[in-house]
Amino acid sequence: MGRFVLRRLVQAVPTLFGILLLTFLLTRLSPSDPVALMFGDRFNVTEEQRQELRHNLGLDEPLPIQFITYLGKVVVLDFGNSFIYHRPVMQVIAERLPNSLQLSIAALLVGLAIGVPLGILAALTRGRLPDHVIRLTSVVGHAIPTFWFGLLFVLVLGVQLRWFPVGSMNAIGKENDILDRLWHMVGPVLTLSLGAISNYPRFLRTQMLEELSQDYVRTAHSKGLRGRAVVTGHVLRNAIIPLVTSLGGILTLLIGGAVITEQIFNWPGLGRLFFEALVNKDFPIVQANVVVGSALLLLSYILRDVVYVLVDPRIKVKA
Amino acid sequence: MSTATAQMLVPPADLRRVSASFWSDALWRLRHDPTTMAAFAVLFALAVLAVGADFLADNVFHWSFSRQDILNSYGTPNTDQPAMWLGSDQLGRSQIVRLLYGARVSLFIGVFGAVVSLVIGVGLGISAGYFRGWWDDVIVWLVSTLNGIPTLYLLLIVGFLFRLDYISLAIFIGALGWTFVTNQARGQTFSLRERDFVTAARVIGASPGRIILRHIFPNVLPLMIVIAMIDVAGVILAESGLSYLGFGIQPPVPSWGNMLNGASQFVTRGPWLVYPPGFCIALTVLCLYLIGDGLRDALDPRLRGAK
Repeated sequence: MGRFVLRRLVQAVPTLFGILLLTFLLTRLSPSDPVALMFGDRFNVTEEQRQELRHNLGLDEPLPIQFITYLGKVVVLDFGNSFIYHRPVMQVIAERLPNSLQLSIAALLVGLAIGVPLGILAALTRGRLPDHVIRLTSVVGHAIPTFWFGLLFVLVLGVQLRWFPVGSMNAIGKENDILDRLWHMVGPVLTLSLGAISNYPRFLRTQMLEELSQDYVRTAHSKGLRGRAVVTGHVLRNAIIPLVTSLGGILTLLIGGAVITEQIFNWPGLGRLFFEALVNKDFPIVQANVVVGSALLLLSYILRDVVYVLVDPRIKVKA
Repeated sequence: MSTATAQMLVPPADLRRVSASFWSDALWRLRHDPTTMAAFAVLFALAVLAVGADFLADNVFHWSFSRQDILNSYGTPNTDQPAMWLGSDQLGRSQIVRLLYGARVSLFIGVFGAVVSLVIGVGLGISAGYFRGWWDDVIVWLVSTLNGIPTLYLLLIVGFLFRLDYISLAIFIGALGWTFVTNQARGQTFSLRERDFVTAARVIGASPGRIILRHIFPNVLPLMIVIAMIDVAGVILAESGLSYLGFGIQPPVPSWGNMLNGASQFVTRGPWLVYPPGFCIALTVLCLYLIGDGLRDALDPRLRGAK
């Protein structure tokens, strides 16, 4: 098992290299000059000063040399200083990371807690009313754009009915109140887990139906096992395994969707940081954010593969 | 003996009538699938409205998409004049006319972007699956790299740096969204290239180009048609998300996404501006998913009766 994890980690290296290359090229080959981006129209800077800064930042070196310097700095997590916050970028990111993780982990759990029972129910009531309702709502839920769902939540439940707060993490003065935090999390977590909530039932339903048609189910029934025992003891255990692979897509949704969700609900996480940095042309933050987001994504893919090996006894790890 | 064999090979007349070709059978199944046909009809109606946006704006609503009327900003929906059926926005522009033009932008970008991603994805996927070796390694590396970066991050960065018009935006979204197509085409090609008819073609000396075009591509095509529908939906969602954040289609050109951007800044003053654009996106995407499901059922013989 340890060797399997190690192998997956090693396999992630070329991917990470590609990601770093892409983020590097994006910022260097863009039509906008990084130095011009740094100052924007905020300051009067002479051409000489610009040249000097370019030299100090190593921007007058050939691109391959710049890339190697960049790689060397990324390895020690040095992304330079933020143009706006005037602090090391990693410091700013480390402050925001827990806020984002709170949301995505909660969204994943909520997605599973709602999606899995609905999927089971749909499969067991196949062709009858609950099945039709669940299938219809999950197709519709899948088609609704995340940001529109978030906006509707803010508009209807926040502004008009005043049931939920319209944004931010806490009410003022209640920074350490867990109940208050949970109450603020309802909107963003539901928005973020919309994809999972509508995906899991469809996916699980298909898997369950496939398993239900297998021979071992008939065997279990003919041995005299009761219906519920067959479902929970045999069918569900096999049907839920492929669900782990579909986690990959959900994780992408969670990390990418955070930008939109955090923007709507004014949640001070990585996604919002990314968006603000982009608007303010704070490129060190943007770059670091992409690298951290991608690294998180890669890690969660590896985690998914490990879980898959752990839960599926049919897969033997080649050590 | 030989006549007996020949007689056995020729099916009786009534059976021959039933054995339609793959495509005409699929078409028959589609026509008898009410959900899919309804989704087709809705989508077709939307497309007609989008194409006729200029005509409708001139002759029915008498209001151009960019005409402002600051004095009547945040007009609530009313029936006094057709242009105000769905109210007006923060600049007093007609919401319904802008929705029509938004349909044009969204549908165009969706279809064009999906074509780009299909062309790239099918090309790379089939070639990687057929030739394997180092080429396959390169493609797999590209796919995993692109999948490793949250797509919205990339879209936002490029949208910010390049300020795209709607054609380059479509190309760009397509150029980032081909990984799923590639994976599917590659997987199919892997199993197809080992099949007997491909081996037979290779044995009689068919060139790789001919094998790919005549034997592999036609067999990958049905799955790609299904994916195309999901792809169009994906591109529309990506564009609207990007435009919603202000980095996609730039005003005054209306898109469903950027209309919501305007609406979200003034949620309390014009709540009626929030519902229609999102509803249009959801409806379009829903129809595309339903058509995709219907096509899969019609085109994939293995899934028949699995409902």
